[in-house]
Amino acid sequence: MRTIFHLDLDAFFVSVERILDPKLNGKPVIVGGDPMYGRGVVAACSYEARAFGLHSAMPIRTAYKLCPQGIYLHGHGDEYTRYSNSVKNILEQYAPLIEQASIDEFYLDMTGTQKMYGSMFGFAAKLQKEIWDKIGLPISIGIGSNKTIAKIGSDCMKPKGITYIIPGMGKEFLCPMPVETIPGVGNVMKQSLNSRGIYRIGDITKLSSDYFGTAFGKYGIDLWRKANGEGIEYLTIKRTRKSISRETTFGNDITSEEEIKNTLFYLTGKVAQSLRKKGWETSTVDVKLRYTDFQTITRAKTIKPSDDDKVLFETAWDLMKKAHTRRVGVRLIGIGITNFSPLIEQEFLFEDHQIKRKKMLRAVTRVRDRFGYESLMFGRTEEDKKLKGQENYFQV
Amino acid sequence: MNKPKYNIGTAGWSYKDWAPNFYPKNQSGGFDWLQFYSHYFNCVEVNSTYYSYISPKIVDGWIKKIEDSDDFIFHIKLHKDFTHTRKFDEQNIKAVRYNLELLRKSERLGGLLIQFPYSYSFDGNSLRHIQKLRDIFSDINCFVEVRHSSWNNNRAYEFFKENNLTFCTIDQPKMGQAISFEPIITNDKAYIRFHGRNIEAWKKSLSNFGKPQTYEEQSSRYSYLYTPGELVEIEQKIKSIQQKVKEINVIMNNHPQGDAVANAFELIHLLDEKTKVEMPATIVKAYPRLEEIIVN
Repeated sequence: MRTIFHLDLDAFFVSVERILDPKLNGKPVIVGGDPMYGRGVVAACSYEARAFGLHSAMPIRTAYKLCPQGIYLHGHGDEYTRYSNSVKNILEQYAPLIEQASIDEFYLDMTGTQKMYGSMFGFAAKLQKEIWDKIGLPISIGIGSNKTIAKIGSDCMKPKGITYIIPGMGKEFLCPMPVETIPGVGNVMKQSLNSRGIYRIGDITKLSSDYFGTAFGKYGIDLWRKANGEGIEYLTIKRTRKSISRETTFGNDITSEEEIKNTLFYLTGKVAQSLRKKGWETSTVDVKLRYTDFQTITRAKTIKPSDDDKVLFETAWDLMKKAHTRRVGVRLIGIGITNFSPLIEQEFLFEDHQIKRKKMLRAVTRVRDRFGYESLMFGRTEEDKKLKGQENYFQV
Repeated sequence: MNKPKYNIGTAGWSYKDWAPNFYPKNQSGGFDWLQFYSHYFNCVEVNSTYYSYISPKIVDGWIKKIEDSDDFIFHIKLHKDFTHTRKFDEQNIKAVRYNLELLRKSERLGGLLIQFPYSYSFDGNSLRHIQKLRDIFSDINCFVEVRHSSWNNNRAYEFFKENNLTFCTIDQPKMGQAISFEPIITNDKAYIRFHGRNIEAWKKSLSNFGKPQTYEEQSSRYSYLYTPGELVEIEQKIKSIQQKVKEINVIMNNHPQGDAVANAFELIHLLDEKTKVEMPATIVKAYPRLEEIIVN
């Protein structure tokens, strides 16, 4: 059985705001927008504000009606990131595996560390204290045998709570709780379950998984498993970058095919440069096109692995021509590449000119890396007048 | 290894715009800035020695002024003839050495800061030149500040280690080929300088390089108050090298209006396990967030 921790920074944005300005302590604080302009939603609110019925995602205007005496702040995004990174730095000193689920939530896989750290509850208390002492942020921790149980656990005793669900008791722990406690169950799902007479998690466990499969498909089976204490046991760790993409929104919607082509050429150059810098090749190219009326078309194609601007652009342009069928203005175009593999040198397979081209592309990558992307530009066609006049222009 | 000794201070103390934010607005005839400064900090970096060969009388005066502060030390920035124009003779060496000796005899010398220009990149000539300076100042702690990213390589670090030189860590706006804030340990000391992160002013200053500028224009690129979140990140980075060195010097150079002083107090607090810090009422008035960390 695994040991998963879920750490949730209590009212994170508000807690950071209170470090930046301690006068906010003990007051109803709302981060998210300016009620004077009536825009935006509550991104976070203090426990004092929650006492007025406020909660995250509530429109700021509604929040203001309920709590006009609250202190409304726009927030300091960069500071939140720094504090979140600082917490992560502390966790990295202890946890063998960390999944950062969001800016203020972390899962730790602590399986097998009991011998090193002793009681998991005691260890959680130590972590909580260290984060409070060193960074000044309150955090709640849930410990369970999978992610769902740990997450529900951390939510049980906020703020500054620690909930340890004894291994094997997950199902018993969940049974009395309302169905919406399960992460992912929103208002619509809650109503749908309630209409079937299902109010508590225990009500789900009394029914068979087939029932939920029939009623809600794969999602229903997942829900049934979670209710029975069988949540996901393994963390998702981001290992590599999965795609590289570039897109641009035109200041004024355009209709000229030539302009689309020029822009796509420029964007392709950018993604190809990033690809070569990583020493990768790509085997899937996709393009995106959005019309004035927001209709969005995407097209993708699998190709022989390549890192060459010319190959990528030719593929992308073929796709774009297929996507661009309407005679209305174009608002946005973009290119993305996925399915990477490391570039493997097998030069003897290439003809002479191909070897030269590979070397040339490598040199281009290095020059741009050193002097900036604009230092060296490929020209696409003889008619490409915009670039032709420049010193750093040369034909592909 | 136990916890290292921390020397935390600012780059210089003689700034008119530190009154009234640090130095009091109304100063009596006998009021002395250095004496006041040394009451709160245990080190200072002297930058005037970079611009001119100052008289030993002045150095003597400093030593007398800080008599009451037992462990106060000076870090001296080496004259630009040695680092920027790189044209110097025996006379220049003597002038620098004399002052260093004065400080050393009175146990007030921290070390010699040898700062090279941004353009100074890693190559054989640069290494030979640094080697030459090491030989001239062989008996002094040398903190070498190179700012071009070409120095971020193992051969450079090895050279520093072999010659017992401290590789200065610098924090500055991230742009171009600037070296990034990452402590590199090459001997038993660390020397960390903070130049602020005012990227816009920094760019402007580079474009005005060489043109006549007022004091405000010149110093505006250092105008930057580190945020609490940045300071926590910095604290973690510095603590990550605690076990590797015996001495950590932290110098704040974001001096306009006293930002450097406020941040230096905050770093003293963070690096000393959040103990409350003794500081004058002036600085707390100017930077209210310091109220949380002042000793009662």
